[in-house]
Order: sequence, then C-alpha cells, then structure tokens
Amino acid sequence: MTGAATSTARWAVGRRFDEWILDRVRQKRGTPELPFTLEYRHIYVMPTRFGVWFGILLAVTGLGGLNFNNNMALMLGFILASIAQLTTLLAYRNQLGLTLVGLRAPPVFAGQPAVFKIAIQNPEHRFRFSILAINSLSEDCSDIEPQETVQLELDQETMTRGWQEMEPFRIENRFPLGLFRAWTVIIPRARCLVYPKPDPNPPPLPQTGHGDEGSARPGDGEHLHGLREYRPGDALKNIAWKTSARQQKLYTRLMESPREEACEFNWYLMRGGGVEENLSIMTAWILRAENRQIPYSLEMPGDALPAGLGEEHRDACLKILALFKS
Amino acid sequence: MMNPSRKSTYWVIATLFVAMLPQLTRMSLAVVVLALLPLMWRLLAETRDWQPVPALVRHSATVIALLTLYHSFGNLAGRRAAVSLLTVMLALKLIEAYRVRDSRLIVSFSLFLCATQFLFTQGILMPVYGAATVLVALVSLTQLQRNEAFSSTGETPPVRASIFSEMGFSFRLLGLAIPIGLAFFLLFPRWSSPLWGIPESTLDAKSGLSESMAPGSIQGLFMDDSPAFRAEFENGIPPRFELYWRGPVFWNFDGRTWSGSYFSKNLPAEFMPLEERATSLYRVQLEPNERHWLFSLDYPAVTPPDSRITVDYQILRQKPVTQLLQYSMASNPDFVDSATLPNTLRDAALDLPEEYNPRTRELVRQWQRQGYKGPRLVEHVLEHFTQEPFHYSLDAPLLGRDSIDEFMFDVRTGYCEHYASAFAVMMRMAGIPARIVTGYMGGWYNEMGDYLLVRQSDAHAWTEVWLPDAGWTRVDPTAAVSPMRVAQGSLGALSDPRHLLDFAWLRRIRNGIDIVQERWNERVIGFGAARQSRLLAPLGLDRMSPTLLVTALVAFVALLSVILVPLVFRVKGPRRRDPLQTVWQTFLTRLKSAGFIPRLSSGPMELAHAASRRLPSEAADIQIIADLYNRARYSSRPPDLTTFRDAVRRFHPKK
Repeated sequence: MTGAATSTARWAVGRRFDEWILDRVRQKRGTPELPFTLEYRHIYVMPTRFGVWFGILLAVTGLGGLNFNNNMALMLGFILASIAQLTTLLAYRNQLGLTLVGLRAPPVFAGQPAVFKIAIQNPEHRFRFSILAINSLSEDCSDIEPQETVQLELDQETMTRGWQEMEPFRIENRFPLGLFRAWTVIIPRARCLVYPKPDPNPPPLPQTGHGDEGSARPGDGEHLHGLREYRPGDALKNIAWKTSARQQKLYTRLMESPREEACEFNWYLMRGGGVEENLSIMTAWILRAENRQIPYSLEMPGDALPAGLGEEHRDACLKILALFKS
Repeated sequence: MMNPSRKSTYWVIATLFVAMLPQLTRMSLAVVVLALLPLMWRLLAETRDWQPVPALVRHSATVIALLTLYHSFGNLAGRRAAVSLLTVMLALKLIEAYRVRDSRLIVSFSLFLCATQFLFTQGILMPVYGAATVLVALVSLTQLQRNEAFSSTGETPPVRASIFSEMGFSFRLLGLAIPIGLAFFLLFPRWSSPLWGIPESTLDAKSGLSESMAPGSIQGLFMDDSPAFRAEFENGIPPRFELYWRGPVFWNFDGRTWSGSYFSKNLPAEFMPLEERATSLYRVQLEPNERHWLFSLDYPAVTPPDSRITVDYQILRQKPVTQLLQYSMASNPDFVDSATLPNTLRDAALDLPEEYNPRTRELVRQWQRQGYKGPRLVEHVLEHFTQEPFHYSLDAPLLGRDSIDEFMFDVRTGYCEHYASAFAVMMRMAGIPARIVTGYMGGWYNEMGDYLLVRQSDAHAWTEVWLPDAGWTRVDPTAAVSPMRVAQGSLGALSDPRHLLDFAWLRRIRNGIDIVQERWNERVIGFGAARQSRLLAPLGLDRMSPTLLVTALVAFVALLSVILVPLVFRVKGPRRRDPLQTVWQTFLTRLKSAGFIPRLSSGPMELAHAASRRLPSEAADIQIIADLYNRARYSSRPPDLTTFRDAVRRFHPKK
C-alpha cells in the first residue's frame, strides 16, 4: 500500500490550528539546542482523521446499544473506546525520550530540493515504531532500534541561491492503531547551502587561461597549474614562497606540462547579463570544467581562488558564487 | 519474505471474514455466495498478483448484489436485510480497497458489523467471538498504521514480528482495555426507556409460535432446540400436568388453518384472577422472539408492564419482544374462566366452515344419537382416540381438503396440532364451544439453577371447551393418545431421534449447561437502568442518580488508571527481538565487562575503532565482529547470522 496520496501540505489537524501551535511553540520554546530530548511537555496527542471517524462509529454503536439496552453492543463499544484511549498513551510513549542529535543538509543547486537529514537517537532500551518526520513538502519514516540512531530525510524546495533555513517540521507517530497521532513541533536551526542554478545552455568555456598546445599532464613541468597547501614531501623548489609569505602558510605550486587549455572564470570578464545569469553561467562552467578535468580558477570581487581541480575546489568555488553579494 | 503490504491485506480480509461469519448463518445461500465471492477473489488476486477489477465490473457486481438482496428479503428495511446489505457491501468494497484509507474503512465497519450481530443473539459464546474479532481487527489496524507511516519511504515497512507476537500485542491491549470497558458498562448511566423504538416493519427474525396454526406449524418447532424462556418459581414448581404455558389462542378455523379473531385480540378480560389467591409465583426470562405474546401458566393474575390481558387470557405486549425480557407472574389454576359465555363468543366458538369433513360430521352425529353430550361426549371422544389405533408421530402426511376426515379415518397419525384441531372441530360439530390454545408444555428442570427451561421444541397445542358452570376447560387430546408427551415432554414421547446427533445424554448435558446462559442473561444481558441503580445497594446507596453514577465512574476509572497506566507503559510493541541486535548487545555487554564503555551514538565501525584502542590485545576480534555486524545489517549480501553469532560467542575479552 505504498504511494498513498501525497498531499502538498501535510497538516496535522487544520491549517489554522497548526499555525497556532507553531506560534505557541515559537514563543514558549523557540529553537531547541541539540541534542534535544522530547519530553512530556513537547508532545501533543490528537486524534487523526481516521480516529475521528472511528469515534463517530463508536458513538453510533454505543447510542444504539444504549437505546435498545443491547448490553453486548454497548460493551463492545466501551471496550473499543478504552482501547482507543489506551493507544494515546502508547503513541505518546513511543515518542517520549527520543533525542534529536543532528540536523544537516548537503549543498544543492537552486531548484533542486534541499535534503535535510535529521538524526534521531533512541537512547532507551525499547523499540520505537514508525517514527515520522514531516514538513510541508515531504515525510520520512523509520523504526528505531534500541540505542540506535536513524537519519530521516526531509525535502524542502529551493528557489534562490544562498543559505536556506530549514523550515519547522514535526516528529510524529501514529502507533499502534493510527487512531491518534503524537507529535512534536520542532523549529530547527539548520541551513542548507544553495548553489546558483547552473545555466542549462552556457556559452563555451572561456579560453583565457594560460596554456599552450597539447594535452595537460599535471605533475612536473614548467607551467603553473595551481596551488595547494604544503604537504610533507613536497619539493622545496615548488613552494610558492611569495604566496606563502602573504598567507602566513606554506603553499606548494602544482606544476604541469604544456596543456591544451586552462580556464579562468573571471567575474570582471563576464559580458552582459544580470548578476544571477552570470552566476548561473559560471556555475555551469565550473561543473563542465570539473567534468572535463580542466583546471579552473575563479576570480570574484573580493574573493579569488587559484586554478585547481577536484571536489573540494569545486565546492569552494560554488560556495563563493552561492554567497556572492553584488 | 512476505510482502507486508500484502500481509496487511490478508489481515483485512481475515477481519471482514471473522466479522461476517456469524451473520452468514442468517442469510440465504445466494447472499452467502455474494458475500464470500469478493473475499475469495481478493484473496486469490493478492496471492496471484491479479489486476484490479475494472470499474464497470465492480458497479455491475454491486447492482447484482442489490437485486439479489432485494429478491431475497423483499425489502431492505429489515434488520436482517440491513445487516446483509452491510456485509455484502463491505465484501464488494474489498475488491477495490487498495489504499490504507479503504482498508481502514473496511476494518472499522467490520467492528460495527460485529456489534450488529448482538441484535440477533447475545449468547454466552458471543462475547468470546466478539473478542476474537476485535483481536484480528487490532492486528489489521496496526499493520495499516505501519503501511501508512512507511508509504512515504516508498518501501514496505520492515517486518518485525511473527503472527503470534502481533496477536499477543493486541491481546494485551484488549486485556488492559477490558477493566475500563467493564467500569463503563457498570456505571455509565442507562436510559430506563428507549428514546426511539425499532419499527415493527424491520423485524424479520421472528421465532417461536406463530400467529396461526396449520398442520405442521408446531411440528416445525419441534426441531428447534433453542430456549423459548426460563421460569424461576418462588414457591416450588407445580406438578407436570399443570405446566401448560399459555400462548396464542385461536378461534377461527377455515378448514385447514386456525387463527386468532379480532375480538379475542382486542377485548380485555372481564374478570381477572385475584392476585392474592394465586398459587404459583414465578419470574419468566423470555428470549427475544419478535412477537407480542408473553407466556404464563393458567390463569395469569398480574399484568406485566406494557402489556394487556385479553378476553381469552392471552398476554399481549404492546411492542414485540426484541430483547431478553424478564417479568414477574402469578397464576391461579383454579380460576373459572367465563362461567357465562356471551352469545357473540359462543357463536365464534362454534363456527365451522360448511360442507367440510362430512365423515367426521356423521361420526359426531352418531355419538350424539347414542346419547353422548356435554362432558360425557368429551370423555367419549378422548376414549375414541385411545381405543382406536391412533399414533403420535412426526411423520404425518400432508392432508387434503377434508383434513379432519382424512386424519380421523385414514391417516390416524399426527402431532399435537392434528389432535387438538380434530378435537376442537368435533366439539364444535357437537355444539360444544371450543377453541385452540398454543403454547408450551412442560420444560426441563435445572436443579443447579432451580429454574425451568422451556425450549422451542416444547411447543404444544391443546383445546379448551366451554362447559356450563365449569367455564372454559382445558382438554389435551394428545395426552389421551400419548400420555408420555405430557409426562416426559415432547422428546420423551418419540422413540426415534430427530437427527443424527440427537442423543438423550447430549440433551441432558445441554440442558445442564444452560445454567451458564441463564446466569449470563440474568446478570449481563438483563442489566439495565433498574439493576444499575441498585448496584451500590450493599454500600448503602439505595438509588443511584445519573450524577452519582458519573461521579462513581470518573472516580473508578481514575483509580483504575493508577493501576493500568504503568501496565500500559510496560506493553512492548509487537516485536520479537531482532536476533542480530541481540547478538550485538551480547558483544557490547562483553566489551563493557572488559572495561570499555561504548558511546551510544557511535556506529559499529567507530565503536570497534575505539574499543580496539582500549583493548589492543582483542583488536583483531573486535574488528572482525564489527565488520560482520556492519555487513549483516547494511550489506546487500549479508553474512550468515550463525557466523556472526559464533564469532561473538568465542569472544571473551580480558581486562
């Protein structure tokens, strides 16, 4: 029965009630410090829609039993009602004591959903059943073994580059019968770095780098390929003394043999286009250069990175673009 | 491994099946087939991955079902029809229930269906069956909850429990709920009279004696062993030959069928026996039969509530008896019924269709010519039954137009209604007013419970003739033919068993254990506003008002909660311990005893790393075990559990 209807807004009770609760939580509790353990005062218990329906059915049964003095039907109604009532305790207890130990989200490109990873720990010796994390767009679920930690993932839409704050979410469970939900509203302090959206159709890579004909062979050579922090074992002749003096840190020059091309992504050389468009183009270039293993350098107003390759270099460049303020 | 989503569907099917099973016994074969077919289809569809049924087929199936139900019941307003409708609709819903929502609808309505069965029977075994239904429903709902929760992950929820532990979990839940349910049952304020009644048109489960008597109608009841009523006497049970339980009285005869007359149902009794002269005092516990008659020994001296006593001393209740009814009764057997007979009644008691039964007419005329009349004729006719070869038997052939003639001269075999009918007709031919009384004869005395159990099979028909001075006098012609019928009851009078499993010893046992049902009726089914208000009489509270009841209820439930809530908190979920986790815990315990305290938040590899540093001599073993665990838990090709278990078993770190 997977693929149940996914509504865009997963409200617990009703939009207005949820907003009211959110306001209350914001005022009373605010953003919790991690690790954050769910205590009795953080957990609300309310019937689900099915719970309300079940209640109506029980009321009808009970009323019929009462009217016709049908004691068996009445008894059945009372026992079912007691069971329903007991499940509120079970749902509450299934959530009690869970600890929120981590919130993080790897960077994404604008337009992709930001994926927030919520680490929840079960510090106790009992099993936790179907614990859900829910925000307005998505939900995720897992059981939590005794003394284990699981990671639930919540998606969040991203529109613009920069830091995106994590929106409030709920930790919830409807164990055991789905009649009641116990839930905790969390107003998190977590953010996701959103890179600019790569231009789907960027101009060709700028051939403004320093290079000669032939394929590049990183390693020994006469041409500067890039800089990296000094590692023990690097040849002394390759140390970039001037840079090191400036930065108060040793840097090694990476040399390379003659190469086909190297790219220099320079903000000042971007022609025309708005700020965001240019950032998009530069993002696309970085990805393409990385993909083709062409070293690239980045120069932005107030920030610059020498030519380089690799994930770290790419992420550093993209972060500069993401947080660029014109 | 079974697909859990499929597993939950099996549970939903099981819930519906268990809930509908008792209802099926009350339905016609066509409806039973209609209810079971969709169930079977869904079961097969689930095991064999069939495609869902197209909407057109579903809709036509619904139409066919409705038509069949209508054809089977005549209308859909009756209780039986309504319950059948609900059953069939739920079964049809099953073939399109592919979402958690639909499945939950079916499960919750199955519980409702389970409640409706108590409209028909509240036997001692029904609560056990109800509990079983609730258990299965609870497992279904648990499964559905997990399916719903995990639906967002796009995966099926992990299976953690065997059927037994799932049932065990539901069982504990039910066990904890029962005390609170009982408290509500005892203390929740009841209504002393219903706010709305059941319309009589919806009654379609009438049982017991009917409103007319044709040959064979009582014979049919003979096969029915269900209890009709029980009577508990305050001053000893009267002798057996006085145990004639008076029910419907018939005046009109059309040549074949006896029926009541308008006046006998509407005229009130002119004289009532004096209550203080009554010799039998007893309480009757009448099983619901959806009819108006209450039963009493001759002659009723009190009028039960909401009823009236007619001119022929039938007790008619205003509303049909739709649930267990208890009433007190006093009877005076010496009462003279109608010392004088008004002409209208006399005419009614002499009326016979013309031109029927000429041979019997001739026989009666012959007796009259011999000088028999009045009481002497009555005796003579009874002697005729005794002396001629008349038989008391169930195997009476169907009779034709002149049914009395055929019976008196050709067949000479019949059941009590044949004899009563023939006797009444002959009396009327001779000018003696006569009428038919139906009811029950005798009963089985339960010594342990000190009450008389009267079953439907004790149904009987006899005659009353009006004689000057004596008034209406009971004459039981069956007793003349078969004295055993009166002495030992209907079953003792016949030599052949009624069916394959009809043994005397089995009947004795069944009559004996009826006491359980009697007590159940008395204590549970008959519990109502009146009994409730006397509940705390031992504590000195004579009458409990609704306010007092609610106060007591709240206090009691609060008290129960103090006991129950800690118990609820000890309820573990439906889960057998994960074997992998168990072994891993052993490993952690051994590490701990060796002096390494694992941090809870660290993963297995991280933990192994830290443990190796703390216990360098065991580093190799620790790494191997952690790696096995890691792979067992996360790898797509996990190692054998036994390999892992053996590795941990061999692991004995030294401090």
